[in-house]
Amino acid sequence: MSTILQEIEAQISGVKTTVAKQNVGTVREIGDGVAKIEGLTDVMLNEMIDFGNGVTGLALNLEETEVGAIILGDYTGVKEGQEVKTTGKLLQVPVGKGLLGRVVNALGQPVDGKGPVKSDVTYPVEKIAPGIIKRKSVSQPVQTGIMPIDAMIPIGRGQRELIIGDRSTGKTTIGVDAMINQARINRAADAAGDKDYRRLYSIYVAVGQKQSNIARVVSVLEEAGAMPYTIVVTASASDSATNQYLAPFAGAAMGEWFMDNGMDALIIYDDLSKHATAYRQVSLVLKRPSGREAYPGDVFYLHSRLLERSARTNEKYGNGSLTALPIIETQLGDVSAYIPTNVISITDGQIYLETDLFYQGVRPAISVGLSVSRVGSAAQIKAMKQVAGRVKLELAQFRELAAFAQFGSDLDAKTQAQIERGKRIVEIFKQPQYNPIPVEVQVAVLWAAQNSHFDDVPVDKIKDAQTKLTDYLTNRKADLMGKIAKEKALNDGLIAELKAAVTEFKQTYK
Amino acid sequence: MKISKQARRDAKELFRSCLVNGALDANRVRQVVQLVTTQKPRGYIAILSHFERLVKLEEARRTAKVESAAPLAPDLQASVRNDLARVYGPGLNVSFSQNPSLIGGMRIRVGSDVYDGSIQARLTALQESF
Repeated sequence: MSTILQEIEAQISGVKTTVAKQNVGTVREIGDGVAKIEGLTDVMLNEMIDFGNGVTGLALNLEETEVGAIILGDYTGVKEGQEVKTTGKLLQVPVGKGLLGRVVNALGQPVDGKGPVKSDVTYPVEKIAPGIIKRKSVSQPVQTGIMPIDAMIPIGRGQRELIIGDRSTGKTTIGVDAMINQARINRAADAAGDKDYRRLYSIYVAVGQKQSNIARVVSVLEEAGAMPYTIVVTASASDSATNQYLAPFAGAAMGEWFMDNGMDALIIYDDLSKHATAYRQVSLVLKRPSGREAYPGDVFYLHSRLLERSARTNEKYGNGSLTALPIIETQLGDVSAYIPTNVISITDGQIYLETDLFYQGVRPAISVGLSVSRVGSAAQIKAMKQVAGRVKLELAQFRELAAFAQFGSDLDAKTQAQIERGKRIVEIFKQPQYNPIPVEVQVAVLWAAQNSHFDDVPVDKIKDAQTKLTDYLTNRKADLMGKIAKEKALNDGLIAELKAAVTEFKQTYK
Repeated sequence: MKISKQARRDAKELFRSCLVNGALDANRVRQVVQLVTTQKPRGYIAILSHFERLVKLEEARRTAKVESAAPLAPDLQASVRNDLARVYGPGLNVSFSQNPSLIGGMRIRVGSDVYDGSIQARLTALQESF
């Protein structure tokens, strides 16, 4: 028997060759970070191509006689006539918890000078989104800590909620606030040793932003102690269009790792208008046919396949989630432009920020009429549903009546009361930046407003009264706040306690 | 030079007419070039340059370049020829050349396939692994 084995082994070693077949091509044309390569007959779509000297490319166009590839990294060293070879691998980025607290580029390489990233797992940048079988409907809340959002436009884990508005209306701030609030809740859960709380990790993807803006966001996150729970992926305005195009996909891959491993993650794409512009540039230099506004035909698919990767998976597939907050910048409030309408139709709702409101001092400048959340209300905690159920309607009625109120005081008592209530709610919803409010405090303040406890406070004093009430509740009635946070609903006992607390506060408030 | 879609299509059509049993026929190629240069149809320069490219790629696909550091013995050449014919089918033009920079071993290129068994390639791979 052993002789047969030896014979087989001898046969195998005779056939075995050390020379492997490689597939090569020649660079025919190079420019704008795009190379045209002749040959490469076996190349796959989206395969990495080795240009030598550590430079890699990505095959994006497979044509009859040539291959169009985008070059990742420094393309100035690539020359015409140079030989390139296929690698048989798709573009991958490192993923995992080792990336938390780090600032990385679109390829997952660190750019914060804190040494190499500790990660032994990689994920492909492009991945097909989880299918129907793997999914589950959204039912857990993402507490952003921003009162108007948590009350009226709630966001659930696994949802895609668009943040849309003109330049400098506070879009990034909403994202940063949400990340800071997650870090605050995670820290509290860590301190309490709470094993049941599902920690929400954040990923901030900066596309085409100024380096100074990115540095500012990172320093805000560091100051708020949010970096240990956050990954920052950057492709700044000075990075190549290729990297700007890839950065959101790299961020999504990092988020998917959390989702696949039964954890929750929140990803903020800041912003997708610049991403579309970068993709347009890549497509045009690849000579793909252009469509409306010179965007390529697949710009819709570009964003839909990216955002479709956010999901909530069911228990059988890990019970994780990836929540996406894409940001879109509009020009002069035009939501009907090409990219904004595309992304609005892809997402499960939008938060619309208005310049006018911003300059009126209503910050965050959320337009209640145009903002909507299509799935999030299923994820609101019961206590919030109890107090915030009517707020959106009341505010809408207030906006309608406020127009009348300007003409005079001949209003009946009911209308007058509605206007006064509306003014107070608008005041209560004003909130300074980087200052998220815990959900139990939101519930208590909204309960007080809904039950006419603020009606006798003048409108210009509302903010002061709210701050003092918050202080009073968090310092003196911490156990009541703890109970609301734990019960997640207002029962008769809690309502009585809350009433007593607010009445007591009102007696001391001047 | 910008080559229009029509020119590409025409060049492809001409190229197909030059194939006999899947292999390029040199006489037909000459005839086609002769005909196009005399008749001068619309965009003939573009058609000819794309045609040339297609012929060049087809030539490369049917040509095996065998490079070795030292000249190969005739029987080794014959065995290389046979092995290549077994993989790529008959009708392959095999050309042998010497390239001392390979240091040792052999490098064969057929179209965009490369079998590199040279010492130099191994040294490069070793260098890149660090």
